[in-house]
Amino acid sequence: MGSFEYYKPESVAEAMALMEGSGGKGVYISGGTDVMVLIRQRKLSPGCLISLRNVRDLDYVDTSSGLAVGSAVTHNAIAKNDLIQKRYTALSDAASKVGSLQIRNVATMGGNICNAAPSADTACPLLVLDASVVIAGKSGERAVPIDEFFLGPNKVALGPGEIVKGFAMPAFSEKTGSAYIKHTRRQAMDLPMLGVAARVTIRIDGNEIGCRDALCTIDNISNVLKRFEDEKLVCEDARIALGVVAPRPMRAKKAETALKGKVISEGLFEEIGEIAASECQPRDSIRGEAWYRRDMVRVLTKRAILRAVDRVIRPDDTIWPERLW
Amino acid sequence: MEGLKYVGKRIPKKDAPLKATGQAVYIQDLKLPGMLYGKILYSKYPHAKILRLDVSKAAALPGVRAVLTGADVPNNFKFGFLKDNPPLKSGKVLSTRDEIAAVAAITQEIADEAVDLIEVEYEELPGIFDPIEAMKEGAALLHEETKSNVLKLPWKFVNGDVEAAKKESAFIAEDSYTTQWVTHCCLGTSGCVASFDVSNNLTIYSNTQIPSLAQNDFLEALKVFGLKNKRVRVIQNTIGGGFGSKLDTYAYEYIAILLALRTRKPVKVVFSREEEFLATSPRQPTITRISQGCDGNGKLTFREIEMVLDNGAYTSWGATTPSVMMVPISSLYKVPNIKYTAKCVYTNNTYSQAFRGYGNPQATFAIESCLDELAIKAGIDPVEIRRINANEPGEVTPQNFRITSCGLKDCIEEVVNRLDWKNKHGKRNGRGVGMASLIHVGGAARVYKSDGCGTIIKVDDNGKVDVITGSSEIGQGSETIIAQIVAEVLGVGMDDINVINNDTDVCPWDVGVHASRTTFVAGNSALGAAEKIKAQIMEIAAKNLGEPVEALDMQDGVIFSKNDREKNIPLAKVLRKAHYTLGGRMLVAENFYDPPNENFDQTFRGNLSVAYAYGTHGVEVEVDRETGQVKILNYIAAHDVGKAINPMLLEGQIYGGGLQGVGYALGERMIWDRGYLKNGNFLDYKMPTVRDIPPVQAVIVESDEQAGPFGAKGIGEPGLVPTAPAIANAVYDAVGVRIKDLPITPEKVLRALKEKEGQKV
Ligand SMILES: Cc1cc2nc3c(=O)[nH]c(=O)nc-3n(C[C@H](O)[C@H](O)[C@H](O)COP(=O)(O)OP(=O)(O)OC[C@H]3O[C@@H](n4cnc5c(N)ncnc54)[C@H](O)[C@@H]3O)c2cc1C
Repeated sequence: MGSFEYYKPESVAEAMALMEGSGGKGVYISGGTDVMVLIRQRKLSPGCLISLRNVRDLDYVDTSSGLAVGSAVTHNAIAKNDLIQKRYTALSDAASKVGSLQIRNVATMGGNICNAAPSADTACPLLVLDASVVIAGKSGERAVPIDEFFLGPNKVALGPGEIVKGFAMPAFSEKTGSAYIKHTRRQAMDLPMLGVAARVTIRIDGNEIGCRDALCTIDNISNVLKRFEDEKLVCEDARIALGVVAPRPMRAKKAETALKGKVISEGLFEEIGEIAASECQPRDSIRGEAWYRRDMVRVLTKRAILRAVDRVIRPDDTIWPERLW
Repeated sequence: MEGLKYVGKRIPKKDAPLKATGQAVYIQDLKLPGMLYGKILYSKYPHAKILRLDVSKAAALPGVRAVLTGADVPNNFKFGFLKDNPPLKSGKVLSTRDEIAAVAAITQEIADEAVDLIEVEYEELPGIFDPIEAMKEGAALLHEETKSNVLKLPWKFVNGDVEAAKKESAFIAEDSYTTQWVTHCCLGTSGCVASFDVSNNLTIYSNTQIPSLAQNDFLEALKVFGLKNKRVRVIQNTIGGGFGSKLDTYAYEYIAILLALRTRKPVKVVFSREEEFLATSPRQPTITRISQGCDGNGKLTFREIEMVLDNGAYTSWGATTPSVMMVPISSLYKVPNIKYTAKCVYTNNTYSQAFRGYGNPQATFAIESCLDELAIKAGIDPVEIRRINANEPGEVTPQNFRITSCGLKDCIEEVVNRLDWKNKHGKRNGRGVGMASLIHVGGAARVYKSDGCGTIIKVDDNGKVDVITGSSEIGQGSETIIAQIVAEVLGVGMDDINVINNDTDVCPWDVGVHASRTTFVAGNSALGAAEKIKAQIMEIAAKNLGEPVEALDMQDGVIFSKNDREKNIPLAKVLRKAHYTLGGRMLVAENFYDPPNENFDQTFRGNLSVAYAYGTHGVEVEVDRETGQVKILNYIAAHDVGKAINPMLLEGQIYGGGLQGVGYALGERMIWDRGYLKNGNFLDYKMPTVRDIPPVQAVIVESDEQAGPFGAKGIGEPGLVPTAPAIANAVYDAVGVRIKDLPITPEKVLRALKEKEGQKV
């Protein structure tokens, strides 16, 4: 490992000035869990490292309207946040599954997204939660929808020297639920073989969602759904995102369209799973075979939607979420 | 065995505080004055001619002290079981782990930089990566001096008449099973420091688990290097795990020696994690054809096995694992007619070594999976077929193993009861139970002419005891076990015992840490030495107390008369009396224990071990039919260990072995793709993490082995032997598909499920 200068700026402006001073040879480092690995593998040899750890403007969680999360917020802070667990559950699902506790204590969501690996765990949740990326550049701030931020493998829509300040997501009511399923070979310290996130907003024609007490059951969601057969649960809005099965984290838009406005049933979700599977472009690699990944998109899309639906109709905090998932 | 004070107790490991506080000194921590750092350059191709090798740029880098290539290896020196492995290759490379050059420099960074400056021009040659291909007539020869890629090794065992037995069998099950490369994943990576004195005597700090044999290997090497009549001293630092990986000497050690010789400075070579994956030797993959038969009552009639092992490009102990595979093949359950042949075949892959179980897991995977298939054909419950054929005390097996203690039936029943087999088996509802048993050597194994271990005990004037043993501590806890045994025999406290076990200049000879032999052999050796020293102590005490020796006993370092406790004398006083008397003496005892076991004869018969270890694992799994994932719900590991000297350490061996077995069964594999290792890191090599540990119940069955120290048998290896077939059998019970190729990945399970339902994948 070569030697290099290490800077610890305290503001976004200072950081960008340092980057400019480095003639573009500097590298921003946040938690360093991607950067340091690349340096040790000699895939990256930066002129200098510009740490974003002391930049206060990047470390915030603001819930005053919707959700705004600073890029330097760690996965652990995200996983433990009450509001995120309740209303942006797909995101806490993902953050709580990154690497190991040690990694989650230092690694940040900004780093996860800017690194732009197709396997980045928080990418699919941000896609289904309609996040926009707040970017600071020379000419001020701009916001880019996350779907337009990912350009390809290891490529994001960041100009030279630009810094991601954070991520903004709209407010969701209790009729919206989301989930992220990370498919791995191990329970920890593993990248996803594939990842599926889903978000649904549900409406019951005419009625409030049934008696909650009756739903405080550890029964399997498939059986719970059957109780609603006469009531007609309708999927008002839906997002589905897939990780690792394309050059970049992707939305399964055909599947989303097929789900929107439909009356919910497990059979429908099976169909949606099949559509999603037809949309992805998985490859064979040592981490997984293409046929298997595609088939898992089918299975896990269904499961992720079921899980998201479940979180709307059984939002009980006390037995949630270990009860089921 | 009542009234034991130390033996049988859950005593924490003696070296635990050192390890927990970070004070243990590993090879990584060692730094000698003037020491240089070595780095090895490996081949870029699995099979190629080296056309040009230019080290001038590396040699010119400031801070570099030496650069060596194959041309610098004196007198065509080669090492390994068949002496087919030069420490630095020249002319031709045969695998991507071939060492072709090495550098010594004043810092590790400079050494790393220097190897990158070495220029190599290759002419790539077509490689052979499949042992079946390599066996075909006309296949290119890896080693031109040989006539065939099949190694000349005598692996064949025949008993009775298999052909006749086949005709008489009511049921026969036959199939092929394959296993993968897995590697040891020691927490401490490999490394050594080699250093010569002015007279060219070598001191080598090494992670070896065979100090005496390694000393001999290095002596031989020095001779070939032209250094006759020299001394070699092997010192072991704290070793971060072995599992068999350190049972042979490696190229890096000879490279360090050559670099030290060239530079006249101590040279350290320590592996990075990536090198540890690439350049240490894994468990050998196998292709096994098996058929087994039984009569109408389920009694086994024959077992026939043909095996092909991928030997890789060079030969280490991996090629001798068929000799241990024979143990379960000939002697797991009562089988009258046996036929076994194994071929080891050179390929351009990595070469294999010893790994916990030494071939036994591969053989047992085939035997125990196939046994379940046979039970299905015969319409017998898998438990029943195992009960009917279980080994028993007093039995003499086809290989002439004389079975003494044998708790196999008890192990089976423990599993049956604890798994609730009756209610859980045969449901096919996504949940299932499976079991598999094992036999392994449990009272050493005479693979060399000697299977011995020496112990020296000396006691000092303050009543402290030094136990100097030939056996090595590699994390398994032998230090603690030996101290417990000596404490028990002598009647002194654990804290008063110091075990010295890491220096060939001081320690007596031992064959090494292998074959689950240390507790049995080193334990018996220490026990004998302790009895001898105790006799000396008692003799002096008797004189001082005016009591006959027989009336005396010692507890907590005090010798007293059993008739009158008031008559006592502290051990320290006895020692001072012995020492400070005119014409005095010091108290030292030595003992060499070589077990009464036998080498195999030409037909592979002979009582290899004084005692045999048995065990049965039972597992309950849940299989996700949509994803193919297998989840272990319950795991019972019942082991006949003779006697647990330290139940806590013993459970550690069972948990550790079991978990290593779970990795072997469900996820671990080295992906060698046409000669290249594709997953040489912990991200892609799926060793289970702490979050993947299933609930394991370690059940200790004590059969009291008469020949063992306090009744103990070996337990180092058995924990991972039956894991994979137990899980495979449970998967079958859960969803009705049999996975015959390890590891049992979700892809394989799902594919099999789909095929069973007539779906295309
Ligand atoms: C052992 C281990 C396990 C892991 N497991 C997982 C896992 O399960 N799932 C997963 O998704 N990832 C995993 N990772 C990868 C990594 O931890 C994550 O991607 C993490 O979120 C990166 O965050 P960081 O703060 O450490 O990023 P850094 O390494 O600091 O930065 C990553 C990249 O983002 C850039 N960057 C960082 N912050 C900003 C910013 N504000 N603006 C502009 N550019 C920025 C950096 O320049 C760099 O290019 C693992 C890594 C390790 C070492």
